[in-house]
This record gives sequence, structure tokens and C-alpha cells, in this order.
Amino acid sequence: MKLAISQPVTIILLAFLLLVVSVPTVAQRSTDWPRESPPPPLPAKAATFPHYEIRNLDNGLQVVLVKHHEQPAVNLRLMIGAGSASDPEGKSGVAALTGQLLAQGTTDLGATEIAEKVDAVGGVLDVGAGTELSFVNVLVMTDSFEFGIDLVGDIARNPSFTQAEIDRQRQQVLSGLRVSYDDPGYLAGVVFGRLVYGEHPYGMPPNGTPESVQQITRDDLQAFHNAYYAPNNALLAVVGDIDVDEAFLEVERVFGDWAQKAMPAVREMEMLQPAHRVVVVDKPGSLQTAIRVGHVALPRVSPDYQAFDVAIKILGGEGGNRLGSVLRTERSLTYSASADFVSRRFGGDFMGKTETRSAATAEVLRLMVDEVARLRGERVSPRELENAQAYLAGSFPLAIETPNAIAAQVLESLLYGLDLDDLPRYPNRINQLTVNDIQQVTQMYLQPESLSIVLVGEASAFLSDLQAAGFKDVEVMSIEDLDLESVDF
Amino acid sequence: MFPSRLRTGWWLSRILVLTAVLIGLSAVPTTAQTEVRPAALDYQLYTLDNGLTVILSEDHSTPIVHLQLVYHVGSKNERPGRTGFAHLFEHMMFKGSHNVRSDSHLSLISQVGGDGNGYTTEDTTTFLETVPAQYLPLVLWLEADRMATLRIDERTFEAEREVVKEERRWRYEDTPFGLLTELMYGQAYSVHPYKHSAIGSMEDLEAASVEDVQEFYDTYYVPENATLVLVGDFETPRALALVKQYFDRVQKARRPVPRDIEREPTQTEERRVTLTQSQNWPLPTVLVAHHITYDGHPDAYPLHIAAKVLSDGQSSRIYRRLVYENQLAVSAFGNGSLIEDPNLFYAVSVVQPGRTTTDSEKALIGELDRLKTELISEQELQQAKNQFARDYVFGRLTVEQKASHLAHAAVIHDDVTTVDAEFDVFMNVSREDVRRVAQTYFTKENRLILTILPQASVGRSFLRSGGSQ
Repeated sequence: MKLAISQPVTIILLAFLLLVVSVPTVAQRSTDWPRESPPPPLPAKAATFPHYEIRNLDNGLQVVLVKHHEQPAVNLRLMIGAGSASDPEGKSGVAALTGQLLAQGTTDLGATEIAEKVDAVGGVLDVGAGTELSFVNVLVMTDSFEFGIDLVGDIARNPSFTQAEIDRQRQQVLSGLRVSYDDPGYLAGVVFGRLVYGEHPYGMPPNGTPESVQQITRDDLQAFHNAYYAPNNALLAVVGDIDVDEAFLEVERVFGDWAQKAMPAVREMEMLQPAHRVVVVDKPGSLQTAIRVGHVALPRVSPDYQAFDVAIKILGGEGGNRLGSVLRTERSLTYSASADFVSRRFGGDFMGKTETRSAATAEVLRLMVDEVARLRGERVSPRELENAQAYLAGSFPLAIETPNAIAAQVLESLLYGLDLDDLPRYPNRINQLTVNDIQQVTQMYLQPESLSIVLVGEASAFLSDLQAAGFKDVEVMSIEDLDLESVDF
Repeated sequence: MFPSRLRTGWWLSRILVLTAVLIGLSAVPTTAQTEVRPAALDYQLYTLDNGLTVILSEDHSTPIVHLQLVYHVGSKNERPGRTGFAHLFEHMMFKGSHNVRSDSHLSLISQVGGDGNGYTTEDTTTFLETVPAQYLPLVLWLEADRMATLRIDERTFEAEREVVKEERRWRYEDTPFGLLTELMYGQAYSVHPYKHSAIGSMEDLEAASVEDVQEFYDTYYVPENATLVLVGDFETPRALALVKQYFDRVQKARRPVPRDIEREPTQTEERRVTLTQSQNWPLPTVLVAHHITYDGHPDAYPLHIAAKVLSDGQSSRIYRRLVYENQLAVSAFGNGSLIEDPNLFYAVSVVQPGRTTTDSEKALIGELDRLKTELISEQELQQAKNQFARDYVFGRLTVEQKASHLAHAAVIHDDVTTVDAEFDVFMNVSREDVRRVAQTYFTKENRLILTILPQASVGRSFLRSGGSQ
């Protein structure tokens, strides 16, 4: 593997030349088809951020109301401001199991009754937890709105956490992990989390490990619920076929007497500095290697968030995607290559990802790392930035199509304390970014020499190639020995 | 942003949602019929001189427009030895035409803030774009250009074939349970092309040639085999004029589109098969599959209701018995795959560690048999109808969803009015109808029982601290 930085450029040129000079072997069907450029657009129509309302209860519950009468349905979304990042030490999976148990019984209703009632009206109930929030979502048709909001209130406030239901759910989680440990994408993701975040709670596996899930007790779930499920730590969205005033009256009826709580002190942990590591999780028999490459990045509230987000989109997102061009379009090495920037309260990470046939692992990894280096080392071209901006700003009308999509943007702003007035200004904020802005953030935040790299696949098929491609100090782990909770992972 | 998704993907996601909450049923509450009724879609239907079907549906709620172009060709149209070709061809549609350079189709769309994609099923190949409303001319121009003047060279074709092989490895071969449907259909069918998966085999992908591309294009990618649906913020006369401007110049097909698909002979005795998978099969799995009818047949609607009674929601019969009460399964469900030609109704159990495949098999067959011997309750029937109404309402929120329903009605039912009329058909299904279709199709001689086991030697020691019973 001797891929110098200049080589991709040569190959791009070569590909371009081939494209221009090659004569199609398949003749077109219509011989008199005109030579044309794309047609101009029709007059543009204004896209404005749709109307929504935010009202607060005295106990601190923030309520987002979006009226949308097109379909006779209502979506209720309750978000609690704590998720797996608030799991007690050594007990990964508590937030997730707490969320799951909400639907398994309240002080008034058993698990079976909840299910019957939801299904009888053709509703949908979804509960669970993410990294920084837990949620209860209920979908109902308009004529079951009152039932829906009562249900959200009951299961969020009065879960019974019976031992029988805990045991049942625990077994499901353990069996689920058994499947997940056979899934290269899952393994790559959780190992990447540990490499990037170290001991920070953001890096712990959100559903826990086979060991940690065994140790969770009823008291853990009860304690998590007692600590975090409170109106002053919650957001509620009521979206769809509603009258705003009537809906708010219902919210007051169901949640008005929910008592505030003093929130536990936030465990504010410093992000680690990026440190270079290459970890191979050996999965004998794999045909492909799942590859993840990245490191920590800035928090959601950072003023540089937008510029860095666009930079990562140029690397591997909509409207750009250098990784897709280099790995798929030019070399047919993968079906899909992308890069994501996930940003939370205290920090985030960016991650390039792809899957490729085992034999191409080292070549693909070299190309990905080189692309991260290029993003930092060279200014993006004005054309590339314009294309990314055109997509991100231009797709604004697509992002406000459904009342749920509208509510999701409002909820995200509230969750991270962002300026709500920025929502309608999104296209402007994107279009104001310059090539210099992008260069500034890539130079400030990208450290190509300190990337966390995870490879899940048949190690014997590519280990020696990694050396040749310039990757030293490769650590190999077996799935059996994977201890995702260990302190010094 | 990459094109292509194959319809079988949902299976996997369903299986992988192993942490789904699980619930049973005890008391019997009264169930009222929901009074909501989704608004009927407003649309106009046209046929151009070259045979292209056009459906226009104005929707001014957001300033966007969705285009969906459905070619009535899918993996069931593939010749023996060329499995996976319809999907491979779909990829080639992004490789340039007379006025569009290779791989620039999607970038032209993303540069105006739009999204584009394509996907291939057993019956159809769909290309779709959603853009801000003013870019309607662009997407019409792009689709007409590749319908009329697709440009392919050997090198591009061979390169894209490698991409599709990576897709097969990623989605199916290197993913837990990824080959579930392929294995099931391979066993359930003898001659009908539903026997093979839409992704196709590696050997057949390797055997495909540029000449095949030309032939497939000339045969199936013709206006009379295509349905163009637009839903969004436009004025119908203006949109129709644009459609005609770009598509009238696409030449008519030179020969009729062939529809000679081999019929599957009636199965006359039960098939039992046990397979062992050495890779990506974490837990034993049992499938019970019965041959059923096609989408649009009067029996199709009660079969959909049966599927809801068996497995929609956590009070449904299969969830309750296999997952919640007896904990025989990590995940269990039933589904009626009602598509253009007669397909399968299947029930699946991913067996809980420590439990046996035999128990799961008995329980699944027990639930299917119960539909034959007992009428479902009034409450279950009403619940299934309410769930259907919900699917109907929540399945029509976006312009893309609306276009998909219109296209499906026009292409698969050959009758666009079914897009709204099916609602009443569902509401009129009776308990006796459900029992009748169960008695018709859920017979022993009409079923396949497929057991798929992980290779015993594969170590699972990471769970040594517990987890299995």
C-alpha cells in the first residue's frame, strides 16, 4: 500500500479523462434527442417556518404546540432531559431499561392493560432512552386525544417497575445484545464510542453490556426515575389535529399537579483530547470490514457548530460526501460511505464510516484517513462549499413538511438552549459561511494524526496490509474478550 | 444519498428491534370504531400518446413537489441466470444519459436542495425525487433524459457491479439474520421468480453483461411500462404542460412489454426443511409460511386483518403467547406479503436462548390453526380496523407517501381509484371472512416449516455471566 496524498488526485484525473473519451457501447434509443442544459426553475415560492407555540406550566414543563389539520391524528412526545449519559457508574443500561419499563405497568394499569388500550384505539406507544434524553411517544387519532394524553401522563409519572416485568425486559435486552454482538455495525459503533470518549458517560454502551444488565436492580430504575423524571426536566410536544388552547387545557389537567424536583448536579466531565488508536475487533468469517474513523468534537452550543457541521457534510454528508466519491464512485470499494457529526451538551464526535470487502480494508482505511487530513490541510473549493450550502439551505422547505419535523427542530433548540429565532434563519446562517470559516474550524478541531479507528472483520485478512499502509500499533481484540465497561478500555 | 434500497430491508429492522416492549392481553375492554376518516386524495389521471401513465395530485401545504416514476419491472421479470439484474439495472440509471454526466443525477438534485433515490422490489423499480416546488422542470427533464437516452459503457457497468456486490455483502451476508427472506423464498417456491431475492446471487451478478443492460432497457424502460406521479405544490395545467414538454418526445415502445411470468404450481404436501448457517445467525429461528393470493384479490383484505390480529401491537396473539407469556421467543411476528403475484403469509419466531424450536413451531402453528377453528372476537376485529385506519392516516403525511399510494394503486392494482376505495373494503371485512381465508390458506399441505440453526461450534461465551436460561 503506497498511496501517497497525490495519488487520489491522479486517479480522479484519470477517471475524468476516461469518462470524457469513452464511447458508450449502448446506443441511445431516441436518435434526435436534443443536446440541452438543465431547465431553469419556475418562480420560487416562499417557505416560512410554520407557526408553533411554546407555553409553560407553573411547574416548569415546557409545552410545544403545533397545529396541523391535514390528517385526523395527534402525536404526543414527552422528552425527559436525562438518558444513558446519566447511568450510574458500572451500571450501563439503567436509563434504557427505565424507559422500557414505563410501558410495562403503572400504579393503575398493568402491562397487558396498557397494551390493550393502546391497540384498541389503533394507537402507537413508543418508549425508550437516548444518550441525553428519555422519551414517551404516543400516536393517536384525533378522537382518542384525551386517552393519549392521559396515557403519557400516567406512564411517565407512575411506573410500577414490578419485578416480573423487570425480569422479562432484562431477558429481552440480554437476548438483544446477543444478536447485537454478532452485528459488525453495532460492535464498531460501541467500540468507537469507548475509544473516542474514554470513561466519559457519552462513550458507554447505551443499552449496557451482558454483565451490567445483570446487575441492574429495581432500586436502580426507581432511583433513576425519581431523580430525573420531573416537569422541570421535561419537554412536551403536542402536534397535529388540535386546537392549541384546548390542547393546552388538557396538558394542564394531566400535568399541572406534577411536582417539581431538585435536579441532581450535572456530571460535567471534560472531554478527552483525541488520542490515536487502531483497534481491530476480530470477527472470523466476515466478508466485509466495518470501518469507523473519527474523534471528539465540539458541543452543540458552540458558535462553531454550524461551520464544523458543514465541513463534515463536505467530508461525508448530503450535498457533499468526498468519502462517497472516493470510495464508491471512483473505486467501487463500498456500497455506502458517509461521515456524521453528533453533537451534545458537553461535546460531540465526528465519525467517518463504511463497509468494504475484507481484502480492501487497508486501502479503504488509508483513503479515509487521507480524506480527513485533506479536509484539514487544504481549503475546500468554493464550488464544493456552494454545493453543500445549496443543499442545506435549499432543502429547508423539505424539512418543514410534517408537523413532527417542525416540532423536532423546536424541541432540539429547547433541549440545548439554542435561540429559537435561528430556526427560520437557518438558510441564511448556512449561506453566510465562507471558505475561510470552514478552514478555520477544520484547522482548529480536526487532528488527523490522532484519529480513533475501529475495524470489525476478519483480522487475518488485512492485518499485514495495515502495517504496509502505515498503520502501526494495531490492537486486536476478540469479541469474547470485549469488556465495554472496563475503565482502561 | 446513494440510490437503491431493496424492499426486504424492513424484515431485518423488525427482527433487530429486539428490545421492543412486550405485552399480553387479559381483560377485554370494549372497542369503539374510530370515527376518523382520512381525506380522499385529489388527483387527475392522464395517458400520453407514447403510453406513459401520468397522475397529478396538487398539495399546497408545503412549497415542495415529489416525483415518483415507477417502471413496472422488478426481480420477478428476471431471466434464469440473471437474478439481481433489475436492481443492478436500477443502479445503472444513475450512470448518465445524453445530457447528464455519470453520477451527476443526484448532485443536480442535491444542488437545488432536493433528495433523490431509487429502489427495486419484486414487482417494480421506482425512481423518486423531492425538491422545492420551483424545480419541477428539472426533475421531469432528468427523468425523461434517462428514460430516452441512457448511456452505458462496459467500464461503468463493471464498476457498478462491484458496488452492488458490496451492497449484497453488507445488507444480507454480513448482517445477523440478513439472509432470512432469501432462505425462506428459496425453499417456498419452485419455479416462480419470487424464488430468488431482489439482490440476486453473486454468480448471476457476475454473469450479467452490457448486452443484458441494453436488452432490459429496450424491453422494460419504455413509456407504456411507466407511471409518473407528481404530488405537491403545483397547478395541474402547468404541471401537465411540463410533463408533456419533456415526456412527449420519448419514443413509444417498439414491442409490447412481456408479461410471461411462470406460475407457481399448487403445493400439495407440507415441506419441512432445516438449515444450518455458519455465519450471522445468532439464534435459532422458525418460520411457518403458507402460499396465499395476490394483492387486490378479495381474500387479500381478510388476510391483512389476520396479520394484524396475530402481530400488530403488543396485545396481538403471537406477541402475547410467544414473547410475553411463554417467553419462547425473543421476537415473533406474522405478516401477509400481498404483492402482485401470489406470495406468502409467514409467521416467524426468533427463539429465546434456552427454549426449543419445537415449542416455537407448535405455538406458531397453534395460532394459525386457531384462526381456522374460532372466529376472532368482535373486539379484535374492531381493533384491527382501527389499526388499519391509523396506518392509512399516518401513511399519508408526506408528498412521497401520497405518491407511493397512488403509484401502487395504478401499477399493481391497475386501478388508481383503489387508493381511496380500499378503506371501505377493509372496514367491511367480517370475522367470518377472516376465518374463511384462514381455512383456505393455512392448511398443512400448503405450508413450509423452515428451521434455521446457528452452527453449534460458534462460541457465545461472552454471555458466560448469564443471559441464557
